[in-house]
Amino acid sequence: MIFESYEDFQTASLTPKVAVIGSGPAGITIARKLGTAGIPVAVLEAGGREFSDESQDFYRGTTVGDPYFDLEITRLRYIGGSSNHWAGWCRVLDAHDFKPKAWAPDTGWPIERKDIEPFLPEVHDILELPEFRADVPISDDMRWVQLIKSNAVRFGEKYADELTKSRDIALVLNTSATSLDGDGSKITGAQIWSNGKQAGLLKADYFVVCTGGLENSRLLLWSNQVSNGGVVPHAEALGKYWMEHPTFEGGNAILADYDEFEVDAANEAFFSPSPAAMERLKIMNFGIRLIKTPYPGAKRLIADLACNAPDFAEWAAAKLGQHLRCAAQLYVAWEQAPRANNRIALSASYMDHTGVPRIELHWKKSELERRTILEGLRLFGQTMAEKNLGRVRIDDWLTSGEDYPTNQELAGHHHMGGTRMGTDLAKSVVDADCKVHAMGNLYVGGSSVFCTSGECNPTTTITALACRLGDHLTRKIAV
Amino acid sequence: MPEKTLSRRIILNLLFALSLVPSMLDRSKPVATTEDEFVEVNGWILKKSDLA
Repeated sequence: MIFESYEDFQTASLTPKVAVIGSGPAGITIARKLGTAGIPVAVLEAGGREFSDESQDFYRGTTVGDPYFDLEITRLRYIGGSSNHWAGWCRVLDAHDFKPKAWAPDTGWPIERKDIEPFLPEVHDILELPEFRADVPISDDMRWVQLIKSNAVRFGEKYADELTKSRDIALVLNTSATSLDGDGSKITGAQIWSNGKQAGLLKADYFVVCTGGLENSRLLLWSNQVSNGGVVPHAEALGKYWMEHPTFEGGNAILADYDEFEVDAANEAFFSPSPAAMERLKIMNFGIRLIKTPYPGAKRLIADLACNAPDFAEWAAAKLGQHLRCAAQLYVAWEQAPRANNRIALSASYMDHTGVPRIELHWKKSELERRTILEGLRLFGQTMAEKNLGRVRIDDWLTSGEDYPTNQELAGHHHMGGTRMGTDLAKSVVDADCKVHAMGNLYVGGSSVFCTSGECNPTTTITALACRLGDHLTRKIAV
Repeated sequence: MPEKTLSRRIILNLLFALSLVPSMLDRSKPVATTEDEFVEVNGWILKKSDLA
């Protein structure tokens, strides 16, 4: 069932056992798992069926620190959530991403990759993916990694018919929870705002917050403030350890044999370090995106190489004549070290139309990350040279220690952390089951529970964790 | 031991090398990376043999 407002929903006879707040990949996946088991669910979607400036306005906020995207641009507030502008790139966090890194504080998850692996077949169905192929080591230090560029499932479009027909799932559009009421042990209700006005209190046995990697922290911070700590009793880490995947062009490469790597339809291939290399260099994970360069770019690069390595440049020039192109741009996206100072806070003076404080995002890249991008490119360059696969040139801004360029992508629009998973009450918000510490009926879905970000796009892991949480709730409620 | 005299060839080579000094100063000095067989020159990650 799909309702256009909370008022419409109230005319229906469905009494939800579970209230899922948000209809993005996590929210819809969890609701479908519950609905399939016959458990009545209400899914609240703050926006409508289409993008609207009015709805997006609720996402405005401010950023303190490094340059970042406008907060109303970097996510979408309508049915399907941010899956509506997702590029469709898929890969699951690696097993080593779940393990602590001794050289990076506050890394490590309370679960392992094998805990989400049973749900990957479901994820493949949901995201319509072929099987992943195994990564290919190209040296002891670097792997050619497999990243599937899928057709980017828009969750609203894909599941609208199924949700319309469902008797157990009620998707309520144009309806948000402005805050949750809690007594320190359980959530007692959600304050509802629908179609421009307060609309009452929604009650359910369980509440699952799936409003996105920025908004989850905002909703819980505000709810905790108005409930005097009754929503997140252990709130020291709430909003903190927020992470992105910073992304910058870091260099170029001349490829000795570009048939060595199978590039995809967009002429791209992806590389990541081995766990041993990360440990040896004490750096974070990273992904190098190699994009074949058009002919003029290759010619300029070879001319530069000729000043330093004339023989290799001469060889490359000959290749250039044969193949028209044999060079590549190198983009690097990397894992941020989780830091408590990177955090989502509530603005003291900037509110949305419902009176809820907007986000003040505090975000800076660290020295460890700067070293990660530089050492990562060196590692890749050494592997290319060692194996005679090509030669890499690192951009001047990196080797000369200049500031990050301001005319590039900046980051991946990947919002992670803020309600991280863990066992330490001072450094985490949810437990291994995604349940808020000390709360009996409050769960969190989405990338805000990530403890670390790895180097890959988060949607595949978000969906796997949502399947796992849906499964957990189904079994818990069935008891 | 008789005093060794410089041949015209050596003197010419020295003069030629001296003429290259200013341009060499303009170029980044090769920096050895952690692996001895690699050098970093003007941002390029190269093998030492590339510079031959």
